[in-house]
Amino acid sequence: MENKVLIAIDLSENSLKAVDYVGDMMVHHPSVTITLLNVVREPSPDVMPDEVEREAYVRKMREETRRHMEEASRRLVSRGIHEKNIHIKIQVCSKVVSIAELVLKEQKEGQYQTVVVGRRGVSKREEFLFGSISKKIVGEAKDCAVWVVE
Amino acid sequence: MTEAEIREKVDLYSRFPHRGKLKIWTNTTEFMDIQAGDVISLEEHHFLVRGEEVEGRFGLDGEPKFWVKKVIDLSDGSSKILKLVFYESFLMQIGPVNIRCFRSPRKEARILGKTRDDPYFMKGFDVQDPAGNTVRILERIQGARYYDFIQNFSMDHETYFHEHFPGIFKRLIDCFEAMLRLHQMEEVHGDIRNDHILIDRKNNLFTWIDFDYTYEWAENPFGVDLFGLGNILLFTVGMGFHNLPDLKACAPPGMQPTSCMEPEDLSLFFKHRIINLQKLFPYIPDSLNHVLMHFSCGTDVFYESTEELLRDLKACEVQLPS
Repeated sequence: MENKVLIAIDLSENSLKAVDYVGDMMVHHPSVTITLLNVVREPSPDVMPDEVEREAYVRKMREETRRHMEEASRRLVSRGIHEKNIHIKIQVCSKVVSIAELVLKEQKEGQYQTVVVGRRGVSKREEFLFGSISKKIVGEAKDCAVWVVE
Repeated sequence: MTEAEIREKVDLYSRFPHRGKLKIWTNTTEFMDIQAGDVISLEEHHFLVRGEEVEGRFGLDGEPKFWVKKVIDLSDGSSKILKLVFYESFLMQIGPVNIRCFRSPRKEARILGKTRDDPYFMKGFDVQDPAGNTVRILERIQGARYYDFIQNFSMDHETYFHEHFPGIFKRLIDCFEAMLRLHQMEEVHGDIRNDHILIDRKNNLFTWIDFDYTYEWAENPFGVDLFGLGNILLFTVGMGFHNLPDLKACAPPGMQPTSCMEPEDLSLFFKHRIINLQKLFPYIPDSLNHVLMHFSCGTDVFYESTEELLRDLKACEVQLPS
């Protein structure tokens, strides 16, 4: 049976730790397919009114993200995951969206058995103000396992 | 309106007849150069500039806000406020946390449109000048700032709490409900403070003003607004804020009035601010104090929506003095 794992990664070093962990855990599962997901959010015109500036920002972020994802993919390969079983997915969103909601939507649509997120270790104050992606995923995920890697 | 007609209106509505050449601005980009005595013309609207509004924020109070002009509407002589376009990005500090904030004329104009029929929000509309600047033309609200309204109660807390607080609390709930309506429209206020509520003399409503601040994150979009609502609630229940140093300062020598305070009784964001007001004023009902404690260091559960906060606040009403 195919074993589908979705790793939600941002551009942090911490998310690469999650990738390493998945690589180590899944190396003995030949049927595993791993999707690396990143969401690039286009800034709202409220915060960046100039359209040309917004487009340039998205291009830059997309490029940076692609490099980061390729690095993540190399790390999985170096741990023994077959290259053909690794997929890279970059979603560009023009609306302010919740990353956690997007990850859960992707999980549902792609019928992933496992969702993996890194935890940034936000303070209580930051969680109050900004929320926590990993907490939201743990709280709302259905029909899958969630791994939170610190 | 021709220049001669504008001059006629200026003479009619200004206390002093205008002498010399009248400076009429249509492009408002260079707002620093627009002075008292000048006229701003936007489409069919003409305004005589009287001066600038001043900053009310603690630490900046009295600083002129050059992009916010006090004006007279030359169509009827009424006082208005013109907010010109000033983009800035800055770090807002909430306790030790810095938040990247942006000033967005576009956002404020959009909210003015969305809340047009809601009496709990300042009224106005926007006009684009020829350079594409979104100028907001605001009605001036006559009335006290909420901050001053609460601070001006000159009585002991117990009398305030039993005689005045229940009525204020009801009105505050109505005001918070207006914030819920805004959130339901997927908008945030962005700068909820007790001086961003004015008590409109016309209808006595607690009215929200100034919503041009914005920020961008999506996991908990209303977190900063909820922090602001919590602060206003605390300020209202306590008839002002209460801080550890103030308590110590007013105690007789040798007395330790703060010895009953635990770290979890204090604000999550401001290390000296007391959240557990029941320890100072024991007649504050448990239900209300419980709501306050969600903003303390001791909490592990935060409000994530104004709806949740309002649900708890409404449940407090039965325990309040009637």
